[in-house]
Amino acid sequence: MADASPWRAGAGRVAAGSAMLAAVAFLPWLSGTDPALTVLRARSADQAPTADQLAAVREQLGLDQGPFIQLGRWLGGLPRGDAGTSWVSGAPVLPQVTSALGVSVTLMFATLVVTIAVAALISARTLSLGSRRRLRDRGTGAVAASLAALPKFLLASLLATVFGVWLGWFPPGGWTGPMSMVLPALALGVPTGAVIGGLLDHALPATFGEPWVRTWHAGGFPPGRLVRPVLRRTLAGVLPQLMPSVVGLVGGAVAVEKVFDIPGLGRLALDSALAQDLPPLQTATLLLALLGVAAGLLVKALRHLLLGPALRDGGLAAPPPPALGRRRATGWALGGCAALLLAVCVAGLLRDPSHVDTAARLLSPSAAHPLGTDALGRDMLARLGHGALRTTGVALAVTVACVVIGMLLGMAGAAGAGLTEVLSAVPAVLAGLLTTAVTGPSVWGAAFAVCLVGWTPYAAQTAALLEQERATGYLQASISFGAGPVHLLRHHLLPAVLPAVARNAALRLPTTILVLASLGFLGLGEQPPTPEWGRLLAENQPYLELAPWTTLGPAGALVLLSVLAAAGSSARRPKRRRARVHRPVS
Amino acid sequence: MRSTPRLLVALALVPLLGGCFSGAGAGAGASDTAGGRLRVALAVPPAQALSPYSNDATALGKLCVAEGLTALDRDGAAAPALATSWTRQDATTWVFRLRQAKFHDGTDFTAASVVNALDHAGAAKPKPRVLSDVTLTAKADDAGTVTIRTKTADPVLPLRLASPALGIFSAKAYTAAGTVSPLGTGTGPFKITKLTGKTQATLDRFDGYWGGKAKATGIDVTWIADGTARTNALRAHEADIAEWIPTAQAPLLDPATRHEVSSVRADSLILNTSAGIFTDPALRAAARGAVDSSALAGSVFGGYADAAHGLFGPAIPWAASRRVEVSGRAQAATVAETRSKTQGRTLRLAAYTNRAELPEAATVVQQQLERAGFTVQQDVREYTQMEADLLAGRYDALILSRVTLLDTGDAVAYLASDYTTNGAYNIAGLKDAGVDRAVAAAAEEGDTGLRQQKIMQAEAEILRTDAVVPLVHEKVVQGIGTNVEGVVLDPRERSLITLDTHLG
Repeated sequence: MADASPWRAGAGRVAAGSAMLAAVAFLPWLSGTDPALTVLRARSADQAPTADQLAAVREQLGLDQGPFIQLGRWLGGLPRGDAGTSWVSGAPVLPQVTSALGVSVTLMFATLVVTIAVAALISARTLSLGSRRRLRDRGTGAVAASLAALPKFLLASLLATVFGVWLGWFPPGGWTGPMSMVLPALALGVPTGAVIGGLLDHALPATFGEPWVRTWHAGGFPPGRLVRPVLRRTLAGVLPQLMPSVVGLVGGAVAVEKVFDIPGLGRLALDSALAQDLPPLQTATLLLALLGVAAGLLVKALRHLLLGPALRDGGLAAPPPPALGRRRATGWALGGCAALLLAVCVAGLLRDPSHVDTAARLLSPSAAHPLGTDALGRDMLARLGHGALRTTGVALAVTVACVVIGMLLGMAGAAGAGLTEVLSAVPAVLAGLLTTAVTGPSVWGAAFAVCLVGWTPYAAQTAALLEQERATGYLQASISFGAGPVHLLRHHLLPAVLPAVARNAALRLPTTILVLASLGFLGLGEQPPTPEWGRLLAENQPYLELAPWTTLGPAGALVLLSVLAAAGSSARRPKRRRARVHRPVS
Repeated sequence: MRSTPRLLVALALVPLLGGCFSGAGAGAGASDTAGGRLRVALAVPPAQALSPYSNDATALGKLCVAEGLTALDRDGAAAPALATSWTRQDATTWVFRLRQAKFHDGTDFTAASVVNALDHAGAAKPKPRVLSDVTLTAKADDAGTVTIRTKTADPVLPLRLASPALGIFSAKAYTAAGTVSPLGTGTGPFKITKLTGKTQATLDRFDGYWGGKAKATGIDVTWIADGTARTNALRAHEADIAEWIPTAQAPLLDPATRHEVSSVRADSLILNTSAGIFTDPALRAAARGAVDSSALAGSVFGGYADAAHGLFGPAIPWAASRRVEVSGRAQAATVAETRSKTQGRTLRLAAYTNRAELPEAATVVQQQLERAGFTVQQDVREYTQMEADLLAGRYDALILSRVTLLDTGDAVAYLASDYTTNGAYNIAGLKDAGVDRAVAAAAEEGDTGLRQQKIMQAEAEILRTDAVVPLVHEKVVQGIGTNVEGVVLDPRERSLITLDTHLG
């Protein structure tokens, strides 16, 4: 159905890409910050910005011509393979951007390997039990949720310290050979693989419940023969998540690139954005958008390859109501995490989170400071407790907004798909820069910026699941009985899509918290010293080795929250689905 | 079912993409040979392909690639470099005698090279920092003598010429477009043979150096912007020298590799005198009284800083002995007065994230100011994101980290740009006739001792206004492997490697 208008999809991509490029090209004019000043700073710090100097830079760069002529000239050069010269360095842009892209794409593939491995490990239990038809309950999802909650930059610092410095097994940084890919790929791939694995693990039981699996099993196929077709059926729904999760890392792995000193595209884009060095920034944006579109097309092709004719001919079976019960452990995990988190928050709220005591610097956990103190002698427990409500509140609100936007755009068909592809490769920090350019520093700016790009995973997921759902027999039966679009949406499509999206959102909740905090340096979000979990992690990252407890507390809280959210997202599901799906099928 | 093999094929392509790695292997293997190649991790990646007119100039000095007519000695006085001696003929005319030297490309260093280099520096747009307040013209008298005239009297010209921005390069270095490339065109003991983007450079020993042969056979430079990553490189023995170890990482280093030196970088609390709360001198005085900088030095800076008593710290040897007592300060407002005067107004305290210690310092200062009766709201952002706001005065107080001796190696340039009425970086918005007079008097003074005295008088005038509350003078921690000898610990951060630096 979506294929009926390939060129509408193309138009959507072009429109989204052009809008993105135009926004970037107008960045200095939107922000009102003179690019001459930022360029001068990038070239020569501590130089007094006299009017003469600024005028000289302006004249040199032709800034007086305004954004239209600048953009026109840059676009005009592209067909000739000329992406202009950097305003800061004066060097041609294309070689440096393509080499950074090469580095980032290489790292992305290495990350993909780790992602697949981790995802496979996480879904191994379900896959093995399911193929023997011994799947009685769903797992707690705690392992996936905990791993997904690990902050990538913290994992990066940890790996660099342990395997780079202490053990010396791998280089602690740099980009000098395949060995230097290992640690960054692990830092990026483990949390990503946990998200993908969590989604796969969540989707597998439905496939195992499909009639054909029963038939095959009854027909005496050995469990090993079942694995492949089941994976093939299930992966189709999960594959689109690789776009925002893995492809998005090409431009969005700035923190990890910093820790490992990797000359990747994320840092290049960020540096040029901060210096308002437009030619490299525009080129990087264009390449990221193209990469997003290319990856989107590839994923689409792969999905069609996996599902093949079934998708076209409406041959997919309806996922039957998963009659799986909740494991008792799930309830325990839910209760345990909630109790622990609540205890930490209450205990923390009774303490003063902003009392600086320079004499009590980096104290290890003790009776007086159960979670230790940070570099300014502030009580970590107090900071954790006071940050809990704000952190989770904002993150939940942003997640809900992203899910709503994502589902709406995911249902919008081809045009929405173009926008999703283009934006899924655009790093949040770029959205943050555009937000500050328009609004200036603001408390809600971070939430707004994340909403701008954070919906892409849900849109991609919704679009994929809807496409599959529309190709099911029961839906077509329902249509033939005269069900209208509203009925279809309420009774078939939404119930099919929502649980998976909710699970996805739960697994991405920790990332959302971290991304929100990562925009702080642009003046977006609450200003310090307000305790926020993301900020706690970022500001204590340098003390990871010297005082591990400063990061252990916030990281632990993030893991608890993630497990709680994942367990919560799969808690109420089975009943509702049974009630609604049964009728039309029978 | 065909998908799995395809996926494997795609993943098998990963190593093929390995062409994207930057080859550091070339020099790394040779580091075991006697004399050895030094592996140096520098902090600030080249912004303009090592152009001497940009930030990158300091790297040219640290790596001993370029030289000017003069150099600075330990006490900050001008010492001979490419010029062997000089005389001041009148207020604006100086004559420099040149030594015989060769450029890395084999051509001879002559008076014509000096004229060419200084002409290009003067014509560069925007002007190099060091020439921002002076215009000079050079003329070759003969092959070994150059006359330099300044438009107005410039008592510190020999110091100015020591700036790496005024290094002399061979004619080949200067392009028609106005750029300068130091690759194979300097005169120093090391020549750059290769520059890989913003990440790496390869330097070889220049055997034709006038001062003899360097002990190290070459230098492999890596730029690592992140302080922790730099520290890790040293700890994992991937680098022999790593500059600027962050204070959070310094305790992790083996004490034998940790070397600290007082730097000319000072952190202060700048109060906005032109608008807002701190137009009131009594409140400025109250803020000064509230700030306890010794608490900062020990905590945020982990001991790698000295509590400040003035604008100039221990890195400037003559400052303490010539310091002038500050008098005529405003009476500080009491806590109750502060509360009533600031009623309903929030003090906007700005700090930037580029230096990790500043946001932490801001939090400590916030608490100190709140105890004095102020209501404080922080504004912490990346520097470029907030500079326009700072220059426009949209803040009340700022934690600023500043190099007090800029390219001239002379303190007047800093005082003039930061605290005088027409100063281009007068973030405090200070307009004080007494300060302007004192800074102008120091600028005109030619005698070194008297100039230092007048600089300290200007410092006292500035401190009197309470437009600035000095916090700490930073110490730089340099990480130097135990096998490396002869690294220079320079408070001005201009030199690092010399002829004598080598692996032991």
